[in-house]
Amino acid sequence: MRETGLRRVLQVVNLPLMLPVLALVVYGTVMIWSATSGMARGDAMIRRHVMGLAIGLVPFAIAWIVDYRRLLGWLGPLWWGTLFLVISPRIPGLGDTAKGATSWLEVAGIRLFQPSEPAKLLFIIVMAAAVSRYRGQISAPADVLRIAAYMAGPLALILLQPDLGTGLVFVAIAMGMFLVGGMRPRWFAVFALVGILAVSTVLGFGLLAEYQENRLLVFVDPDRDPRGAGYNLAQSKIAIGAGGLFGNGLTSGTQGNLNFLPERHTDFIFSVLGEELGFVGALGLLALYLGLLVAALEVAASSKDLYGALIVVGVMSMWTFQILVNIGMTVGMMPITGIPLPFMSFGSSFMVTNLAATGMLLSVWSRRYGV
Amino acid sequence: MATFRERLKPRFAVFGGIVLSVLLLLAVRLWSVQVVSGSAYAERAESNRTREIAIEAPRGRILDREGRPLAANRATLAVLVSPAAKDDDDLLDDLTTLLGVPRQEIVDRLNSVREAPLEPRVVAIDVSREAVAFIAENESALPGVEVRVIAVRDYPGGETAAHLLGYTGLISGEELSQPGFSGYRAGDLVGKTGAEKQFESVLQGDHGRRLVEVDAWGRQRGVVSESEPVPGRDIRLTVDMDVQRVAENALEDALSDARREGFSKAKAGAAVAMDIRTGEILAMASAPAYDPRQFIGGISQEDWGRLNAPGGEYPLNNRVIMAAYPPASTFKVVTGLAGLTDGITSQWRQYRCVGRWTGMGEEWSKACWQRRGHGTVSFHGGMVESCDIVFYEIGHELHRRGEERLQAVAREFNLGSRTGIDLPGEVPGRVPDAKWKAEFNRDYPEYAVWLPGDTVNMSIGQGDLLTTPLQMAVVYAAICNGGAIVTPHVLGAVLDADGRPVIESEAKAIGTLTATPAELGILKRSLFDVTEVGTGRSAFAGFGRKVFGKTGTAEVYGKDDYAWFVAVAPAEEPRYAVTVVIEQGGHGGSIAAPAARDILSQLFGLPVRHVRAHDVSR
Repeated sequence: MRETGLRRVLQVVNLPLMLPVLALVVYGTVMIWSATSGMARGDAMIRRHVMGLAIGLVPFAIAWIVDYRRLLGWLGPLWWGTLFLVISPRIPGLGDTAKGATSWLEVAGIRLFQPSEPAKLLFIIVMAAAVSRYRGQISAPADVLRIAAYMAGPLALILLQPDLGTGLVFVAIAMGMFLVGGMRPRWFAVFALVGILAVSTVLGFGLLAEYQENRLLVFVDPDRDPRGAGYNLAQSKIAIGAGGLFGNGLTSGTQGNLNFLPERHTDFIFSVLGEELGFVGALGLLALYLGLLVAALEVAASSKDLYGALIVVGVMSMWTFQILVNIGMTVGMMPITGIPLPFMSFGSSFMVTNLAATGMLLSVWSRRYGV
Repeated sequence: MATFRERLKPRFAVFGGIVLSVLLLLAVRLWSVQVVSGSAYAERAESNRTREIAIEAPRGRILDREGRPLAANRATLAVLVSPAAKDDDDLLDDLTTLLGVPRQEIVDRLNSVREAPLEPRVVAIDVSREAVAFIAENESALPGVEVRVIAVRDYPGGETAAHLLGYTGLISGEELSQPGFSGYRAGDLVGKTGAEKQFESVLQGDHGRRLVEVDAWGRQRGVVSESEPVPGRDIRLTVDMDVQRVAENALEDALSDARREGFSKAKAGAAVAMDIRTGEILAMASAPAYDPRQFIGGISQEDWGRLNAPGGEYPLNNRVIMAAYPPASTFKVVTGLAGLTDGITSQWRQYRCVGRWTGMGEEWSKACWQRRGHGTVSFHGGMVESCDIVFYEIGHELHRRGEERLQAVAREFNLGSRTGIDLPGEVPGRVPDAKWKAEFNRDYPEYAVWLPGDTVNMSIGQGDLLTTPLQMAVVYAAICNGGAIVTPHVLGAVLDADGRPVIESEAKAIGTLTATPAELGILKRSLFDVTEVGTGRSAFAGFGRKVFGKTGTAEVYGKDDYAWFVAVAPAEEPRYAVTVVIEQGGHGGSIAAPAARDILSQLFGLPVRHVRAHDVSR
């Protein structure tokens, strides 16, 4: 069958996926504008955000155009690339560590990006390739061990940073793929057991930085330190709760504009949204995420091969986990881990990564007929 | 291809289900936080955002009877420091150097629990321009330090009427919990003693409230709403500033007279002048005095310790109402009136004084102060010359007749009870009787029985009898105003913002003597002669006005004699009662009477010239 140009375009364009992304990007930009409107350098922040979006269009387009299947041959280099990105902030002359958690790649004193963000995408590709080899049947212990080994390398390095938040994102990505990739349920039980053991070891031997331990303990008992670690949580809940049904209106949130909310344009952007646009605005955001994820699931189901489906599942796992943890932390359901909210939080590395992930999804979609 | 997708279908379903439930979970949680508990969080956001700042209401002024301010307000530059600074050693050092306030004092003020918990505290007032400039220039190096203009109490008359006015201080936790202080907040200044305390509810205004929007660092961003403070009301006292000054000087002069005459322990005394018709207090002086300016902006621990040191004569005490002394011979009017009304004596009844009295038997003999005796002396003469024998006789007879008549007459004069003056801290004094003695000495049965000697001692104002200087002024006022027991008061009027009186004090009498005008006339006649030819003549020689008076010289165990003089003048139309007591000052006629003369001089508009009397009578 000869294809016309229009049909060819319709074949690669997925509006149910792209429209929610566009809406989210606009929504996020409006919220960042509102959150930074009271800041001294608010205008500069908005410019940086828009610039990040523009830069993100390049990897977005590349990821879309490049055939994801060609990456299968690059599994080894991609795995090593992931390791390099994860460890790069620790390499003298390359890294810079801010606030104990956010790690930057820095060359000649110029901050480039947070390498843990693109590392997530490389990790998704590597794991999708590794898991898809077993054609949807992972039951032999040797297979499980091999897959676990692929996961363990980057995970171990990122936990040693220590970057607990990103580490958990890696785990979530892997678990989503294991589920769809055909791992037997009993192996999930084993992973859970190992995880519990690891967490108790880390807590028991005090391997976490003090601020991380505090954040976890404050989550259990917010009154433990109301002016310190519990303060963020308390102020965020107040902001979201005060928003009520319809919110105070854009730029009119007192919790945000009077600086009661910490990190309000990055990790706590949802608190600003909750305060200013209320339950209606928050539900609107969740609806956009729902639309995005349903469209993505459709992409996964339409994939010609398991490898492509798993890439999509990995991206979905990443987004879903980050939505859960970020919004969850702002309403006191999850510990404060510093995980940003997809398409909403300020931060160019994060935005570029999400756009590139969208490109990957479209890449899978475009090749669903094997063209 | 179809087989691959078919096989994955259940797994996609599970995965999709997980994704969906995550979003659902969040939606439910948001419903609960935003819609169910929304208003509670909105309230918390509002209290986050706004802070209520109390705007001090100016305290009402205290004026003298002519409207001259005795206590007013003035603006001053104050340095305030946030309580959080108490752990900043460098900052505390800087403040000590800059302000000259001891470091410990700054720490004490920052730690004070009497102030509103988070609000900055005043650590220094009347700060120099140089210090203010330094603080402004080094704002970043002095976190939590600010300069503000605040209103403080001002005393235009300095130490004048310090005891009467009292002082203000931060409200205590105990006061805050009392119902009378509802509406007050920690950090408020309230009257602690004197008129400042008595008229607190009138002087204190109502705070204004300013609701400001603050950011997370507590910086003000704007005013949400504001209500104006309502200033406290001014009050006008009955005291005359000029008479008050003369009374205070007269006390000082009397004390130095006493020391010059060899009574080296004379350091304290009291003087009061009262209108006998209305009970208005015209002057109320107590020595030693203190400087109320020490209390402005909070008194230092050191000054407070000095004012309350044992052996320091307790300058904070207002001796006119807080000190109870044996009234000595000034009490003879009471004994005399009891004798007259009971028919035990009469104006010209003759007594024989040989310097000793053996009415209770040789072994209980008692002396007259005049050791060589007064010879044959009438009741009138006994009063004029203050002969003790005459009153021993009367007292002994009163005792013999039983029924504690002397105590009853003393209580008719309201002795043993508070006069009811509108000032805090008044003591009731004591009228001893058999019941009191039994109670007081219940652990010492051999001393618990009321003896004839007790009544005899009491009849010359000694023994266990105690009166305040003000009580004796009321006694003499009653004798000279026809028998009315007036209630002394210092409040003239409460004024509105335009200075017009809204509440005015009225003369109050709590009782009337049962004595006849004739009996009171006998007493007055003898009191008149005291200053003409008797024990007070030296002090009142050439005074130019006729004065009723009585000297007293109280014996206090282990101390030098206390000098008393009570006067009422002018005799033609009695108007003013004056009491002067000089602790350990010696003789009433030579030490206390000249001071009383000075006060009367001022009341009559006569030139005040302190005279020296050389009368050693009692």
